[in-house]
Amino acid sequence: MAIALTIGLGIQACNQSSPIDNQTSDRFQGRLVLTGSSTVAPLAAEIGKRFESEHPDVRVDVQTGGSSRGIADARNGVADIGMVSRSLKEEEADLQSFAIASDGIGMIVHQENPVNSLSNQAIIDIYTGKINNWQQVGGKNAPITVVNKAEGRSTLELFLDYFKLENSQVKSSVVIGDNQQGIKTVEGNPNAIGYVSIGTAEFSINDSIPIKLLPLNGIAATSENVQNETFPLSRPLNLVTKTQPQGLDKAFIEFAQSPQVHDIVQQQEFVPISK
Amino acid sequence: MGEKSKNQISLPTFIVWAIALSVTAVFCWILGDILWHGVGQLSWEFLTTEPRNAGREGGIAPILISTCLILAVCLAVSLPLSVGTAVLLAEFTTTESRFGRLVRRSLDVLAGVPSIVFGLFGNAFFSIKLGLGFSILSGGLTLACMVLPILIRSAEEGFRAVPTEYRLGAAALGLSRTTTLWKLLLPAATPGLVVGLVLGIGRAIAETAALIFTSGYVDRMPESLLDSGRSLSIHIFDLSMNVAGGDANAYASALVLLILLLLVNGMATWIAQFWLARRIKS
Repeated sequence: MAIALTIGLGIQACNQSSPIDNQTSDRFQGRLVLTGSSTVAPLAAEIGKRFESEHPDVRVDVQTGGSSRGIADARNGVADIGMVSRSLKEEEADLQSFAIASDGIGMIVHQENPVNSLSNQAIIDIYTGKINNWQQVGGKNAPITVVNKAEGRSTLELFLDYFKLENSQVKSSVVIGDNQQGIKTVEGNPNAIGYVSIGTAEFSINDSIPIKLLPLNGIAATSENVQNETFPLSRPLNLVTKTQPQGLDKAFIEFAQSPQVHDIVQQQEFVPISK
Repeated sequence: MGEKSKNQISLPTFIVWAIALSVTAVFCWILGDILWHGVGQLSWEFLTTEPRNAGREGGIAPILISTCLILAVCLAVSLPLSVGTAVLLAEFTTTESRFGRLVRRSLDVLAGVPSIVFGLFGNAFFSIKLGLGFSILSGGLTLACMVLPILIRSAEEGFRAVPTEYRLGAAALGLSRTTTLWKLLLPAATPGLVVGLVLGIGRAIAETAALIFTSGYVDRMPESLLDSGRSLSIHIFDLSMNVAGGDANAYASALVLLILLLLVNGMATWIAQFWLARRIKS
């Protein structure tokens, strides 16, 4: 019985080996270690799972520790690929970087809100409580509901950093967790203003949810503008390697940049890149 | 006047009661909060499926297995080592001896070292120097280093608590030192061992900082001890702090961790008592 099984498996393996020989370049095996930014880690882990399901002999191990760790580990070879949730600095020019997604943030208001743009100063004044009625910025006579993000969200950090605010200065009416909650809050309150990942907001607008994205500094909040880096409130999520990637590293990075993973990128509340 | 003061609760009594009650209340609050949020998410499916969408959906099966493996490695290494050291300290050295004092002092210092330091040490030594990489083995070994002081010190106390008359009696009966140790002292020291075990398991199973750089973050089903495996504590940390919308599953995982802790502790106590109690009778 056991012998028959072994032979059976052997024959099966032989049968399988012929098509594999024809396309050895598609058949990867081994272990790929990624370390770095905790913002990128969940996204990279999900991309890794899909990559594993397409290449069953590959294991993608994703570890966290922060962007600086990603840079250090990629440099000294502890990791094959580092994860960095910002652009590389000048002194990091020795590394190769590959953007797999962007984290862009857009201001959202209800579709019925007549306000179509806000200056940076107006947004700061609204978030610090100096402006508390839509009339003051050209809207209806209605109090403003300020929606802020909870502590620890990368979108909150990016938002505060851009407007040079401290979280303690923000006078928020509602504190929310994820992007979806932000969109639901603004959808249900015509006087609310909030900020969410542009990718998620565009997805919801296409789903005909009554919200709209406001331009920032006169630049429209679109995935394209996040991708071409003209939109000011954004950052790239990068994979970095020490040398020009080869073989498995190259295959994984190309896979992570391909449209095949755009749904994962959106699910993790980032903006996919369009090549 | 006397009547009155009998019925009146004095201020110190009130304060003592208030402190005791508030400590209990905090514990009940934590337990209640985890139960309230976690029970609804908990199901057989949650325990037996893989996490999906960064842990927001799906279950925790690989994480549960990794946690148990890490704990098994940790105990398999630390238990024999700690019982051995405790026997040496309690039976073969006096409290005043220079060597005994040196070992004891080092253990006390080691017990106070923050877990992140153990994590960095484990990463540098087990993962990089010994080439174990991010693996369940490096994680378990790091935890073993961490719980050793607790295990040794409480086991030593257990041995010291055995009355000297036992040893004298055994010597008078002409029993060898090994037999005395095996048949008499070890069973008699069981309570101390169990206390150490419960404390050690508690510290190991709740550990995040020492594991994030050693056993790692990978939530795939481990295929060997050399695979990286995410522990429950790291999963809870990641879901509540790093993954938007992961709170529901974080609560459910916390509940599982709590139940696992109670189960493992109960089992450790039961096995120790069962195994050693039988020995002392025969």
